[in-house]
Amino acid sequence: MLKVVVRRLLVMPFLLLGIVTATFLLAQFTKGNPLVSIIGARNLDNAEVVAAAKARWGLDRSVPERYAIYVWNLAHGDLGTSFRTKQPVLKDLAQRLPATLELVICAMIVGAAGGIALAIVSAEFQNSLADHAARLLALMGSCLPVFWLGLIALFLFSVQTRLLPGPGRLDIRAVAPPTVTGFMLVDTLLAGNVAGFIDAARHLVLPSLVLGWSVMGIVARMVRASMLDVLGQDYITMARAKGAARLRVLVHHALANALIPALTILGFTFAYLITGSVLVETIFSWPGIGSYAVEAARSLDYPAITGVTILGGLGFLIANLITDVAYAAADPRMREAT
Amino acid sequence: MARRSRLAPSRSFATSLATSFAASLLASVFFLPLDVRSAPAADGPLVVARAMDVNSLDPARAYCDTCQIYLSAVYATLLTLAPDNQTIIPMLAKSWEVSPDVTTFTFHLDPAATFSDGSPVTAQDVKWSLERLKNIKGGPAYLMDSLKSIEAKDPATVVITTETPNSEFLGILAAPYTGIINAKLAAANGANANADAATSDASDTWFLAHSAGAGPFVLESYTADDALRLARNDKYWGKKPGVPGVVLKQTADAVTQAQMLQSGTADIAMQIDPDTAKTVSVPDATFKSVPSFNFVYAAISPAAKGAPVPLTSDVRQAIALALDYKGAIDFTVGGEGKEQSSAIPNGYPGTKDLPAPVTNVEKAKELLAKAGHPDGFAMELEFPAMNVYGVDLSLLAQKVQQDLGKVGIKLSLKPVPFTVWISDINDPGTPFALGFFAPDYFGSAQYVQYFGMLPDMPWANRAGVGKQPGLDGKEQLALYHKALAATDVPAQEAAYRDLALKMIDDKIILPLVSPNLILAYRNDVSGVRYSACCNLPLGEIEKK
Repeated sequence: MLKVVVRRLLVMPFLLLGIVTATFLLAQFTKGNPLVSIIGARNLDNAEVVAAAKARWGLDRSVPERYAIYVWNLAHGDLGTSFRTKQPVLKDLAQRLPATLELVICAMIVGAAGGIALAIVSAEFQNSLADHAARLLALMGSCLPVFWLGLIALFLFSVQTRLLPGPGRLDIRAVAPPTVTGFMLVDTLLAGNVAGFIDAARHLVLPSLVLGWSVMGIVARMVRASMLDVLGQDYITMARAKGAARLRVLVHHALANALIPALTILGFTFAYLITGSVLVETIFSWPGIGSYAVEAARSLDYPAITGVTILGGLGFLIANLITDVAYAAADPRMREAT
Repeated sequence: MARRSRLAPSRSFATSLATSFAASLLASVFFLPLDVRSAPAADGPLVVARAMDVNSLDPARAYCDTCQIYLSAVYATLLTLAPDNQTIIPMLAKSWEVSPDVTTFTFHLDPAATFSDGSPVTAQDVKWSLERLKNIKGGPAYLMDSLKSIEAKDPATVVITTETPNSEFLGILAAPYTGIINAKLAAANGANANADAATSDASDTWFLAHSAGAGPFVLESYTADDALRLARNDKYWGKKPGVPGVVLKQTADAVTQAQMLQSGTADIAMQIDPDTAKTVSVPDATFKSVPSFNFVYAAISPAAKGAPVPLTSDVRQAIALALDYKGAIDFTVGGEGKEQSSAIPNGYPGTKDLPAPVTNVEKAKELLAKAGHPDGFAMELEFPAMNVYGVDLSLLAQKVQQDLGKVGIKLSLKPVPFTVWISDINDPGTPFALGFFAPDYFGSAQYVQYFGMLPDMPWANRAGVGKQPGLDGKEQLALYHKALAATDVPAQEAAYRDLALKMIDDKIILPLVSPNLILAYRNDVSGVRYSACCNLPLGEIEKK
């Protein structure tokens, strides 16, 4: 197992270089003018202003030159400076990643726990009303557009009933705690700000539920299918015949095995949501990686686009690795095979 | 083992009781309605929800709508625009004189004016700031195109000379991009005003975290894509702002902005479109529809490669006559806008009583037949796929498609990202496009410089001035010089009016919609207004 992990880690830099090269070239050859975000549309006709901006941002160099400089800087931990925010991309990403991780982790908890619970109910009471209701709930999670859900959730819980706060990570008028980890829940606690902690937790509820519901749909359907498969196995019949309690059979014997296929989907969903939660981030004004990626793409901010892609690629590679390790831990047959 | 009394609660019962109690307590704290938990404090900062487009916070590099709001709140300018959006009034300069040939401008600084660190605003700061604006060659550098020299005669007197007469220079000096910077402080942090400032000035990042102005607010913090926080400048030399601070909160979606206003999370929502405004009901908020100087236009470029037929004057006239201008306003902004005659917006010098655009389908067909296209032709309409000033350009494009279909011109719609659109209109050129424009300051020259058929101007190059029949550029250039050399308002108005009529005749730029701006704010907020120079003057806003 250790050999597999080491082998994967050694290959990772080469895979990342491949991602960097592909992204860099795609971004450079995408039609459009990145100078718009630097000098504004009206100045693109001003040769002097255009020349000055190109020189300042290195856009007057050839693509191979730019690529070589980029890779060299990357090797030294420099992802370049964003055309749009004018800050180092690494700093931008470091600033936004905790916000996204905080949201995605909560959404994954909601999605995984809810999805598994729905799957158990659905599989155990197959074709009953409970099954249909659980499947409908899962289906809605997969089908309903998150931006619509987000707006409806805000309208119901923030505007109408005022049970939960509106967009943002913290009350807009509140003073944010000093940034230590970037995770608002952690930083408020570190600052001894209990009211801030509760406020941050309340701000997390709606976006987590909205994002988590879509995860819940995927997890519920996958786990239900494998639960149904597992529940038909002989060892389950044997456990029941021996008088094992219903819940024990479901959770201990069936779920433990049915969860294995779900691990892959959970791993990849987590990696995907790091850069893919853009709609929820937009609706809830959540300053995370997703909204950063969209703004970068919109303004052809090459360094930011490449930076986000590297982060996303790294996320997928790590998720893949963790999934494989978790797979092996959950299934002894996989351990032997690797 | 001790036997548990039958009357004592079981362990599991006790546990579930405790758990239920804790859960209830947590839920009651967690879900307590917002009103009870924390009603917005009256002495808290003003919250403005808007989709921010900040490209820099450095006055010499910033160039965006949000930048106008920020810069006018933090950096004082020599002059500013009165609430009537037409009159230039004093700010840092308490008085000024203009030479008869409109090339020399002498300003006398207000001795009370100080920067936020308490140091006085001097003529040297003015000279340094304006020279830097020119030399950085950033987005707003064009405002200093005519600058020849600046002389700090004494600490309170500055003399600015322009290369050519510039009757709009006072208006330009009211633009927030010309905000005066504390030169000593900025220079100590990497800024310079040298001729090579475009490459040697390294203060861009410093300006993202600090400010060095003499405006009513100072920069507290800025996090891109999240919030821009301002605090009241306690050493402000003018009328103290009515709020202790301002938070410009990034809120991309108009519906979310409206919801924030409804719930009281935001005090002002800046980009609520007319449709959204009609759907929300907020008794404790005001929704005011005011005319703006922004507009959306169609542009015809006869010189663009790929024009299906020669886009002659007759063809352009036909296209202009086929468009239903009133219908476009109803279709896109539900009637919350107005027609605009020329590329110079209503209310700007030279636009009084200009003839309104006319729709005449029969006449359009006649002109097309005269031009040799009795059955019309097929053409592409390229536009940025976005919503600007509340106008959905896709919707507007469909309306244009529908209108031109009536005269046999079959349009295929080509929505593209803005960065692609801006690239395409220059190279290879786009025969027919939709675009949009908002002013940088109060003055008509900026419109002539961008839309006029003058040599070397952007749309003139795209249209082929000097190469296309009827577009020689000489007449408009002469009128432009006349307008800039005008020594009084009537003469200036007359020259711009002649220019506007010529631009209308060219039928290169066809203004379609000048959408109203929806000012949406909670009723405990006052002083909210739209400014042609500064967008939303934050220093004038008060909160009860």
